[in-house]
Amino acid sequence: MSAVSGIAQAQSVALLGVDATVVDIEAWTGSGLPRTTMVGLPDAALTQAKERCRAAVLSAGYAWPAQVLTINLTPASLPKTGSHYDLGIAAAVLATQGVLAASSLRGIILLGELGLDGVVHPVRGVLTALLGARRRGAEQAVVPTSQLREARLVEGMTVRGVNTLTDVVAVLRGGDGVTPPPVVVTGDATAAGPDLADVVGLTAARWAVEVAAAGRHHLCLHGPPGVGKTLLASCLPGILPALCPSEALEVAALHSLADASIEALPVRPPFSAPHHTASLASLIGGGARIARPGAISWAHRGVLFLDEAPEFSGQALEALRIPLESGEVILGRSESTIRYPARFQLVLAANPCPCGLASTPQSTCTCTPMAIRRYATRLSGPILDRVDIQTQVLPLKQSLLTGLGGEPERSEVVAHRVGQARSRQAHRLSATPWSTNAEVPGAHLRKRLPVPLGMEAVDHAVAAGLLTARGVDKVIRVAWTVADLAGADRPTSDHVFAALALRQGQSR
Amino acid sequence: MDRRRQTGQAGEDLAVDYLRRLGWRIVERNWRFSRVGEIDIVAVESAEERQTLVFCEVKARAGTGFGEPLEAITHVKLQRLHRLACLWMATHEMGYDKVRIDAIGVLSPPGAQATITHVKAVRL
Repeated sequence: MSAVSGIAQAQSVALLGVDATVVDIEAWTGSGLPRTTMVGLPDAALTQAKERCRAAVLSAGYAWPAQVLTINLTPASLPKTGSHYDLGIAAAVLATQGVLAASSLRGIILLGELGLDGVVHPVRGVLTALLGARRRGAEQAVVPTSQLREARLVEGMTVRGVNTLTDVVAVLRGGDGVTPPPVVVTGDATAAGPDLADVVGLTAARWAVEVAAAGRHHLCLHGPPGVGKTLLASCLPGILPALCPSEALEVAALHSLADASIEALPVRPPFSAPHHTASLASLIGGGARIARPGAISWAHRGVLFLDEAPEFSGQALEALRIPLESGEVILGRSESTIRYPARFQLVLAANPCPCGLASTPQSTCTCTPMAIRRYATRLSGPILDRVDIQTQVLPLKQSLLTGLGGEPERSEVVAHRVGQARSRQAHRLSATPWSTNAEVPGAHLRKRLPVPLGMEAVDHAVAAGLLTARGVDKVIRVAWTVADLAGADRPTSDHVFAALALRQGQSR
Repeated sequence: MDRRRQTGQAGEDLAVDYLRRLGWRIVERNWRFSRVGEIDIVAVESAEERQTLVFCEVKARAGTGFGEPLEAITHVKLQRLHRLACLWMATHEMGYDKVRIDAIGVLSPPGAQATITHVKAVRL
């Protein structure tokens, strides 16, 4: 046996959060006692890749080089993690052995984990990786067959599926790959949680939710236990406009980091409702070495619902402040700084006091005044400052339960109005970087848009010390949304009153 | 003599033939130092009027079912060979320019041509 020395190169993708970098996997063989080394900042799972690949290559009936074999992942300075490099490593090694032509690997992104028997297993983040690779000009990819549908969501990419290492060799020699059996994709357009028709009564609160949906305003629902705050909040995704294709791709890319496989693009905005004992890391994202996305990123382009908001730890709530402003979260860890998108609509639900009955008519609260005050201050100023709509959800009257209130509107009907209001906003704000009323800063509201008619009521509220300057901006913002819902070109005094009413119970 | 030792002995003979064909002078075969172990081949390579003393470890196998022959030469074996080489040099007359350790793998499937893999300077 002569000591063949050769170099081959395959391509894969390194993921840091949602940022993808194309990684070159180089394999080099040279003379020396048989030994395989792996360089280029691999983590523990990746260092073990050489053992998996070796077993898979031998199981598939090929030879592993009985020479010095060095596998390098470039750029070497980038920390690499995960098991999806297996396919690329095996392909590069096979190319040094002449099983594959080195040129056949050029420009093909290989993703997949190898089992010891040569079977290709699905990996996380295929969609995210291929989206990133596509942006960097890659046009071809090979993925596990079970993830072919997920990979084909990326436009402009030729993707082929493989089940075994033998398939990989066939595909790289020019084969078509394995086609998965067709599955019936069930549409999830309507399966978006409870319907508004299930909400009995609560007319004012329903309307607050509708306005919040129309203007993408953050919302806070106050009320005693059991009145339906949670039900109302979970109706919100059902009346929000469906995700546009680029948003759906963003959402799917994030979810692809957690789930092994995605069948189709999501249609409805996601709804994330972490429990109030959630840790800071699970809420905003975290973890050692390389941070993982948290609940706020799962709610990207959707709704983050914090039930029993005052029960959340102060630290967790305050951590929401920057993502609420910037629409993303940046997590620094020892090995990397990772950015995850987190543009969510915040919905808070809160009891007025620990026993939940304060300020509810015809009930007796058992809390001390001090306890009520302390409970109220748990939701800090900076957080509530970003919440445009605060509304009281009052308990039902008996009469509404027996049906005298009429048939409640279904989500579909409300969603239609919300959609129309959204298109009015998009049209009005088309020359700006914003698309919904909630995003418009105060200066633009006051200087660039016509002043709403009937601002006297607001002036009175300011004079009486009920409204601050920032509060005025919020009222105007909500008044615009109310006008959009009503189909008016400029908010009138009715809309301003309505906006003021949506801030009831709040003195700032 | 069992089959494994036969394979080993035949492999060493093949390796010696191979080295002679390269023009090397075989100094000693199977040199044993009490409990430390055995050096398979001690040879001298002459090139450009320089004499290199080479200690060779030979590993022979009849098939690749258990991997390539050279894969069986582990770090521990090389360390032992290094120690033996030092002992050999301490007990013999020395007049060489250089010293080296080589590994020779012999793959001799029954009824087929044997393949010899020679890897130079695996240690030192």
